[in-house]
Amino acid sequence: MDMLTIKNLKKNFKDKEVLKGLDLCVPEKSIFGFIGKNGAGKTTTMKTVLGLMKPDEGEITVAGKKVVFGQTSTNRYIGYLPDVPEYYSFMNASEYLRFCGDITGLSKEETKKRSEELLELVGLKDEKHRIKGFSRGMKQRLGIAQALLNKPKLLICDEPTSALDPVGRKEILDILLAVKDETTVLFSTHILSDVERICTDIAFLNEGRVVIQGKLGEIKSTYRTDEYIIETETEKEVAILKSSFPHLQLTGRTTLTFKENQHDFYDVMHFITTNKLPVLKIERVEPTLESMFMEVVQK
Amino acid sequence: MKSFINFTKKEYMEHFRCAKIFILTGVFILLAVMSPLVAKFTPVIIEMLSESMSQGGMEITVSEVSAMDSWMQFFKNAPIALIVFVLLESNIFTKEYQKGTLVLALTKGLKRHTVLLSKAFVMITLWTAEFFMYYGLVYLMNDIIWDNSVAENLTFSAVCWWAFGLMILCLCVLFSVIAKTNIVVLAGTGGVVFASYLVGMLPKIDRFMPTLLMNVNSLIYALEEVSYYVPALLIAGGISVLSLVLSIPIFNKKHI
Ligand SMILES: Nc1ncnc2c1ncn2[C@@H]1O[C@H](COP(=O)(O)OP(=O)(O)OP(=O)(O)O)[C@@H](O)[C@H]1O
Ligand SMILES: [Mg+2]
Repeated sequence: MDMLTIKNLKKNFKDKEVLKGLDLCVPEKSIFGFIGKNGAGKTTTMKTVLGLMKPDEGEITVAGKKVVFGQTSTNRYIGYLPDVPEYYSFMNASEYLRFCGDITGLSKEETKKRSEELLELVGLKDEKHRIKGFSRGMKQRLGIAQALLNKPKLLICDEPTSALDPVGRKEILDILLAVKDETTVLFSTHILSDVERICTDIAFLNEGRVVIQGKLGEIKSTYRTDEYIIETETEKEVAILKSSFPHLQLTGRTTLTFKENQHDFYDVMHFITTNKLPVLKIERVEPTLESMFMEVVQK
Repeated sequence: MKSFINFTKKEYMEHFRCAKIFILTGVFILLAVMSPLVAKFTPVIIEMLSESMSQGGMEITVSEVSAMDSWMQFFKNAPIALIVFVLLESNIFTKEYQKGTLVLALTKGLKRHTVLLSKAFVMITLWTAEFFMYYGLVYLMNDIIWDNSVAENLTFSAVCWWAFGLMILCLCVLFSVIAKTNIVVLAGTGGVVFASYLVGMLPKIDRFMPTLLMNVNSLIYALEEVSYYVPALLIAGGISVLSLVLSIPIFNKKHI
């Protein structure tokens, strides 16, 4: 089942088209990476899912129920961490969670139990100061705690790691990984290493549309145009190889590259062994999300 | 109801921890103390002045001071009290829009009308408590220093003023759900009061304008019957209720 579906979502700000018919399906129990460059419309998409922004066109369902702008009852399935979470800074962390618990309709005991669990999970258990003095990392971790308070079916995080240092980022990613059995996670980002680290599914947002979407592994294998690098000992071998395999490209003094669809890898290997060419290195290059992202964005 | 109480608790916690409630109470007490003080010492000052002036050939007679002078001062200071209150409270919504603090609460399923009613409730209860504390203090001091029996319809006059303040607060709520910034809220509310004041200058209509409730001198001098003020009082109440009722659907459609 899909936890979240978006069909043909359109949104303009004045004369600026931000979303131009965006389609998205987030399957249940996935960790879904929503990737797009700055200003691509990630936040806008998330806000319409939460009923905080009225779309011009399109239909959104959460857990099978339609999202309505304004009084948004589907929000009871969702835990949300905004890009810059803002709290009542005169409270401390556990007071804030108590306030949230009451709103979501948890009982006093449940709220207390759940707050303690979550503050432990995000490492704010012993923090007694008011939120006013929290660092961004602490605010981000409190944000995850408040989002998970009512055991949401869908956790939406808007760039949860963008503002953080490598340690803080790892902490947040670990927390997201830790909750993946309880909830579906949708998070937006432009940090691709984060995506590679934890995501099961991804979607690329570009020019107001989702241009690629699916399981991370499948996408990587579909878009895999395997590339090989051969490094020879001297320039003499380069010349010999190039004369037999015209598509080989010279990228360094003794470095050649080619793609799977240009020459068969085993033909090249065979040629090297039969001619006993001395090589320093033969390497298969994995396609990175980075290169895919660049390719998609430049198209 | 549970979330209304919860949100109201949060509002009061904020008022205490951000010291707003202490500032308000301080200002109201100060204004209360000023009423008899100014009444008592104005003649003394004038007398001192007149002494120096009489040497220049000018004669000034000073009338006897009574509780009446203090009450006049009380109603003269009431607009200051209301303005301070509005200045401090008018950002009760806009502060949350600007900081984005409502976003999390609303996405957690807090109903928008709960937010609105809770904030209105907090403003109204605070205004009521502060204003009647102001009134009570002045009443007490005047009774001790002079005698309150010289002034008529005191409680009713105070209620008129309180109701005028109530209407202003409800208008603040209405402008807060329309506007995004504090300035617009203040300008909108001020604009309505000014318009009401201008219309109130026309004869015949003046007694139906809520701004009449600010001029209660003829009430305490018993120059006018209580009934003369009732229409304006009812209209102020009507505007208050209407503002709140109108705010709810507007707030429901607001981009937050
Ligand atoms: N309230 C608004 N009024 C006008 N334009 C807006 C508004 N909100 C967003 N935009 C525009 O919509 C576009 C998409 O914004 P959005 O915040 O959704 O991008 P994003 O993908 O979240 O970017 P980032 O990675 O920087 O967070 C931007 O060009 C922005 O200028
Ligand atoms: Mg964003």
